Amino acid sequence: MTFLLAVGFLSDVWSFVQENADELKEGLVNTLKVSAIAVAGAFVIGVTLGAARAHRIPVVSQVAAVYVEIIRNTPILVQIFMLYFALPQVGIRLDAFTVAWLSVTIWGGAFNTENFRAGFEAVPARYREAGLALGFRGLSTFLNITLPIGGRIALPSSINTYISVVKNTSLMYVIAYPELTTVALQINALTLETTETFTVLAISYLTIVWSMSAVIRLLESHLALPEEAR
Amino acid sequence: MSVFPDWAEPVARYMLREGLANTLKLSAIALLGSAVIGITLGTLLTIRFLPTRALIRLYIEVWRGLPILVTIFIIFFALPAVSPTLRFDAITAGAIGLILWGSAQVAEATRGAVGSIPREQHEAASALGFGWVGRHVFVILPQALRRLLPPMVGLLVNIIQNTTIVQVIGAPELLETAERQVERLTFEGQEHAIQIYGAVMVVFFVISFPLTRLAAYLERRLT
Repeated sequence: MTFLLAVGFLSDVWSFVQENADELKEGLVNTLKVSAIAVAGAFVIGVTLGAARAHRIPVVSQVAAVYVEIIRNTPILVQIFMLYFALPQVGIRLDAFTVAWLSVTIWGGAFNTENFRAGFEAVPARYREAGLALGFRGLSTFLNITLPIGGRIALPSSINTYISVVKNTSLMYVIAYPELTTVALQINALTLETTETFTVLAISYLTIVWSMSAVIRLLESHLALPEEAR
Repeated sequence: MSVFPDWAEPVARYMLREGLANTLKLSAIALLGSAVIGITLGTLLTIRFLPTRALIRLYIEVWRGLPILVTIFIIFFALPAVSPTLRFDAITAGAIGLILWGSAQVAEATRGAVGSIPREQHEAASALGFGWVGRHVFVILPQALRRLLPPMVGLLVNIIQNTTIVQVIGAPELLETAERQVERLTFEGQEHAIQIYGAVMVVFFVISFPLTRLAAYLERRLT
């Protein structure tokens, strides 16, 4: 009996997906698009400002520290409100797509700065000294020694930040950007197929997030530093 | 109060008395619920019994994997569709969503903390005649709690910030009260969104910054 009910429900969910395929696909594509931009942006910000923090580059390091503390200690939802609902007051009008990728990039960049700072600082000083002794300049020492080793150390925590970035794109519901959550609630309002809607929404996010966690575990064993290199 | 313009005083009073009060109340409930459920599940996860392990793992991975907003939507919109008895008001639905997410985080941290207590402690407690429950409650958990303290403070910061998500379903926490005031003033022809949302950021920063410092300090001292 329970089995039959479960099969019946699954076929309901499947016909729901087929009926709303176009909207769901649009939502999924937008979620992945915003996430991809933000992951790339957060990576660049994280490596750059993380390096500035780890090497205590004057001014940049202090500015980065202030940026990190402000973003980490205020809710991302308020940051989204600030960008979308408050900035027009001073004449800066950003559309929903811009706020969507910009807010998660700024947020992910701050957390990633900390991830990479910790990674770079964990690289033993003797490696950098060895690089300098071999005649590498400061920048090539960073690119050839600190970045490959420290980057690997920072990798698991940075992927955790990217996972949070993907989950945070759901907050774009408040600015009506048509990503998965927004689209799902619109479908729900039209069809009133609430159970099916939220089943599909939850499965979508869990598939993305669980795949990313699986990637972390694969990369961790693949890119792990040999014991003697630590 | 003359440093503040006329519009600000009633706005601030409403946001602090109604909004901040609800934010703090919600944070306290979510922290307490997450700690109790999370520590229990995390300790049970250390038992080598496959069915309980698989169930608790599933609980952790589902509620950690879903965006909190989606969890709250499921509780607020989908549960009443399943059964009319599962209808909650916005603050309760928000608290349940935050506890599901928070307890998953605590369970994972507890598993690590309990697992890090040496086996001899278990053996010594057993030799003294403690059963499984007594051994964990009186011997293992008190030691594990020390290692749990830094992640718990970190979790508190995240809980406080994530209470704003409840705004989406209209619970009158700090961000919701701020939005209501912005809308009221806009309706009256005054635009103060930057000042009001800026004030919300300042309030959260003032609460969160000392706590993140404390978490970092505890991390350094206890490890």
